[in-house]
Amino acid sequence: MTTPVRPETDRKIDELKAAFPQPGSALLPALHAIQEEKGYISTESMEYVAGKIGVAPAFVAGVVSFYTMFQQKPVGRHHIQLCRTLPCALRGAAAIRDHLVKRLGIGVGETTKDGRFSLIEVECLGTCETAPICQVNDEEHGRLDAARVDALLESLR
Amino acid sequence: MAEPTQPAAPSAQPALPPAGPDEVALTIDGRPLVVKKGTTVLQAAEKVGLLVPHYCYHPGLSVAGNCRMCLVEIEKMPKLQIGCATQAAQGMVVRTANERVARTRQGIMEFLLINHPLDCPICDQAGECRLQQYEAAYGAGFSRFNEEKVHAAKRESLGRHVMFDGERCIKCTRCIRFCDEVSRSHELGLLERGDHAIIGTFPGKPLDNPYSGNTVDICPVGALTLKEFRFKARVWFLKDVPSVCAGCARGCNVNLATYRNQIHRMTPRFNAEVNEYWICDPGRLSYQALEERPRLAAPLVRRGSSGAAGPHLSAGGESAGAASAVTASAGSAPADAWSGALDAAAALLRGVAQRSGGQTLAALVSARLSVEDLFMARRVLHETIGISRVAVPAHEEGDDDRLLIRRDKTPNGRGAALVGVGAPHAGRVKEILEDLAAGRVRGLVVVGEDPIGDGLLTEAARRNLDALVVVDWWRSPTAEAADVALPSCGYGEAEGVFVNFEGRAQRVRAAIRPAGQADPVWRILAALGNRFGLSGDYPSASRLFDEVASSTPVFAGLSYRALGEPGVRLKEA
Amino acid sequence: MSGTVAYEPLLLRNIDKPGSGTIDVYLAGGGYEGLRRTLKEMTPEKLLEEVKASGLRGRGGAGFPTGMKWSFLPKTKDKPRYLCVNADESEPGTFKDRLLIERDPHLVLEGIILASFAIESRRAFFYIRGEFHKGARRFQKAVEEATARGFLGKNILGSGFDLDVTVYRGAGAYICGEETALLESLEGKRGLPRIKPPFPAIVGLYGCPTIINNVETLANVTLIAERGAAWYAGLGRPPKNTGPKLYCVSGHVKRPGVYEAALGIPLMELINDRAGGLLRADRKLKAVIPGGSSMRILPAAKCDVLMDFDSLVAAGSMLGSAGVVVMDDSTCMVGALLNLAAFYAHESCGQCTPCREGTGWFVKILTRLERGEGRAEDVDLLIDVASRVEGNTICPFGEAIAWPIDSYVKTFRAEFEEHVTRRGCPIGAGAFALQAASVTGH
Repeated sequence: MTTPVRPETDRKIDELKAAFPQPGSALLPALHAIQEEKGYISTESMEYVAGKIGVAPAFVAGVVSFYTMFQQKPVGRHHIQLCRTLPCALRGAAAIRDHLVKRLGIGVGETTKDGRFSLIEVECLGTCETAPICQVNDEEHGRLDAARVDALLESLR
Repeated sequence: MAEPTQPAAPSAQPALPPAGPDEVALTIDGRPLVVKKGTTVLQAAEKVGLLVPHYCYHPGLSVAGNCRMCLVEIEKMPKLQIGCATQAAQGMVVRTANERVARTRQGIMEFLLINHPLDCPICDQAGECRLQQYEAAYGAGFSRFNEEKVHAAKRESLGRHVMFDGERCIKCTRCIRFCDEVSRSHELGLLERGDHAIIGTFPGKPLDNPYSGNTVDICPVGALTLKEFRFKARVWFLKDVPSVCAGCARGCNVNLATYRNQIHRMTPRFNAEVNEYWICDPGRLSYQALEERPRLAAPLVRRGSSGAAGPHLSAGGESAGAASAVTASAGSAPADAWSGALDAAAALLRGVAQRSGGQTLAALVSARLSVEDLFMARRVLHETIGISRVAVPAHEEGDDDRLLIRRDKTPNGRGAALVGVGAPHAGRVKEILEDLAAGRVRGLVVVGEDPIGDGLLTEAARRNLDALVVVDWWRSPTAEAADVALPSCGYGEAEGVFVNFEGRAQRVRAAIRPAGQADPVWRILAALGNRFGLSGDYPSASRLFDEVASSTPVFAGLSYRALGEPGVRLKEA
Repeated sequence: MSGTVAYEPLLLRNIDKPGSGTIDVYLAGGGYEGLRRTLKEMTPEKLLEEVKASGLRGRGGAGFPTGMKWSFLPKTKDKPRYLCVNADESEPGTFKDRLLIERDPHLVLEGIILASFAIESRRAFFYIRGEFHKGARRFQKAVEEATARGFLGKNILGSGFDLDVTVYRGAGAYICGEETALLESLEGKRGLPRIKPPFPAIVGLYGCPTIINNVETLANVTLIAERGAAWYAGLGRPPKNTGPKLYCVSGHVKRPGVYEAALGIPLMELINDRAGGLLRADRKLKAVIPGGSSMRILPAAKCDVLMDFDSLVAAGSMLGSAGVVVMDDSTCMVGALLNLAAFYAHESCGQCTPCREGTGWFVKILTRLERGEGRAEDVDLLIDVASRVEGNTICPFGEAIAWPIDSYVKTFRAEFEEHVTRRGCPIGAGAFALQAASVTGH
């Protein structure tokens, strides 16, 4: 089976295995590395990393599906993760969501046809001091209101 | 009342019995007992006859502690504790039957049922389902859940033998632990989380290890069902007969579930010394041959086979002729059919001995036969009729695996050796068949074997035989080619003893009536032996085994009663 | 953000400095002095005794005495010991650990090194929730800086003590903040809490004795090493509620943020003086969650309370993660509870029966109530079902959902009942004003 990841990622996973007292620990960082390279974790990647770490593919599928950050399908170039939990909800997160849905023309859990944006709701991001907030890929954007949302979308090419 | 009840105040407990250095004494529901250190509260309760209800606990698997059904009250501990994971301690006071525990069990039952489909009318598990049993025993009898249930795939094929219903699953993880710890094949995983958590396989890697059927046994509900058993019979009609599998030399202990004189399924029977809680898939399905293969239901004599060298086998018509009932004599009463066929067989063998000499007689007897059958084979064929060359074909396939499966697919190879017929030996069989091909063997008795179907005896070679007498349960190619074919009992139709590869003697039981006019092999051989001067009374398999025990030192002192359900390991075996 | 004149920040002393977070700024402010002195003058046992004497209680949520937790380690040394830092901060309304990680990682790191020294661990794992991308990068940089300057690695400051710190990122699961679920995740598995006993101090990471401590707890260890247990034990409300505390205030306030105060600040002072009071002048205070979403709610009438461990227990709640969520009277309590119920349903690991099934059931009942499809029996049903979850689960997640259900329904019973009789939300906040699409689509 050809390796579904680049040689650098494959090497990184080897390094990760050696970095822990037990190689099993390398699974989560290895999955992060695969997702960083490919944007999501395919069935093929799961089987590949199972072989590398020395666990069963069904086990890897269980791990990938347990953690919300691991995507099993590609997401938009700008993956918008809007916080929905109470402190953000108290500061208007539902209205922000409705605004995003209107602006993007997609529902929560969907990706725009051009692949530019995807939108999901996530639980408390631990950034309640600037509620309501979202993360786009790995960056936070807080104190959202309609205007800030529009400016943010504009800036994300 | 919504606040959890406070634990009961310590009450006066009966005096504890003394505990040895590796033991602890405790009380459960007022009953004092002593157990070994390391025993869990659940196991300790079992010892005094108290069932602590549970789903996820299984004595053959690691402890998961997730179903929470076994929560019990332990004095001095504010929260209830799971009995399956709590070690019994000195002086512990356990209560399994008070108001607090009862209320908790009701709660767990309600939770388990809120997303469970009301499938009982169409679910195989009904009648042996823990949800049914525990709801009746511990549940409130009604549910307050009045919402849309969580839905999941209801007919998902996990593998060759196992069907999965995601809605019935209670996520006890017994099946996953089995695949990880026993079969060590790791096909199953738990996917997603929360109330959308579900069992699954990896795409392209189905649940196809040779022990997959055990997951169905251990599934406490109808989430995992056996494809071969689905919708076949309601379990409350089934009668379980304890027996031993005949699929290989391991001799796993099983239960044959019978109904209307048919075996509907085989399930493992616990035996700590042989198979613990498990059986393999081929063994589990070995009873199917009884239905799938054409049965030899009546004694058959080839026309023209009266003792003289008769016409040989030809394709087509002749075998149709041979298929008709035996003898032209009046009536088709079974006794006549049997005596006619036995007379014909005796005459044929005698004829060969007279014309070509006794050394041209040979016999192949099977290690799939019981100790009783093989004892009579030696007595009749070897000692009475004088057949000097008796060989036991070998049936080996694959390898011994690290669990139960043996390379030797005969259940009684050891038994064959111990009664003096000889262990399975491919070489000796080859010698006989080579002599047969060269014309030096002219009369062959085949008991329970199919050398033609196995490709060892060719049509051409068969023509060298003036007498082919076959005793078997099905119309094998060899039986079809026989001059006389005598119908014997198939698996599950006769009492007997097998000795497994480790020298353990175990009983196989008659679970169903023999088909047609079939008889046990030992009785057929005895009747044949009578025609050569054998005397002696063989009224039952049990009495015959007693005679085996008294004449064969390794079986000394044994009887059917002594063997019981778990069997006995023979000394110096 | 660092508030009033009266209180001199200890934990937050560096965060407003330019270049805060770098080792140079940290050192310039006296950083790593406590470590230096401890390694030179103390044994591990002595440091453990200091931490015990300080009265420090865990800052993650349980408030268990830290020194006592460390002393649960077995005396035998046949297996390596591990320190795991719980940086999985995911309790709704909590964001104090993130602040320390991003803005003063060395304060935390010094505490990690000290704690590892005290428990004789050679390897520490910093388990940080996957969504804290910036925090993970900055902490990793701090680890590299410290290693380069000899505060980590072999023979730290010539003491003979070795320590390596590994940053390990989670991947999105609130349950991984539970100690044993954290260990499972760190071992590369699904984050399912373990059956206890055995406890991590005896059987922990890779089966070895392990201590798990919260980020803020370890920052406090740095302070104790700097200025001693006696000084520390004089702060706050001794003897059982000592030290400084970071409080997170969010919701309907003018200045949401992290505020440091001595343990035991009055709740209303925290809300009104530090956080600027209610967001809207035309609204009144309705309810406050004092310690993260899992804690029982306080109605406005019960908010005259001191924010320390024991005072809040006496008031019928808990300090928890000190995530103070303020709700004014525009808030529908059914909507608020539904919002949280959906959180717990999403985050339930699914392992044990009461939580797996109960969390989903709560969402369904509350959704109908909020939608105006409530039934007369729903209110008592919520309370009863919550009582069937509490106490019966593998981990405290059961209490985390049961307590809010029980306290919101009991404290605001009339409001819940009105949703039934009025067939809708009486507040008129608009049904589902606090709800996510995933809940409305149920």
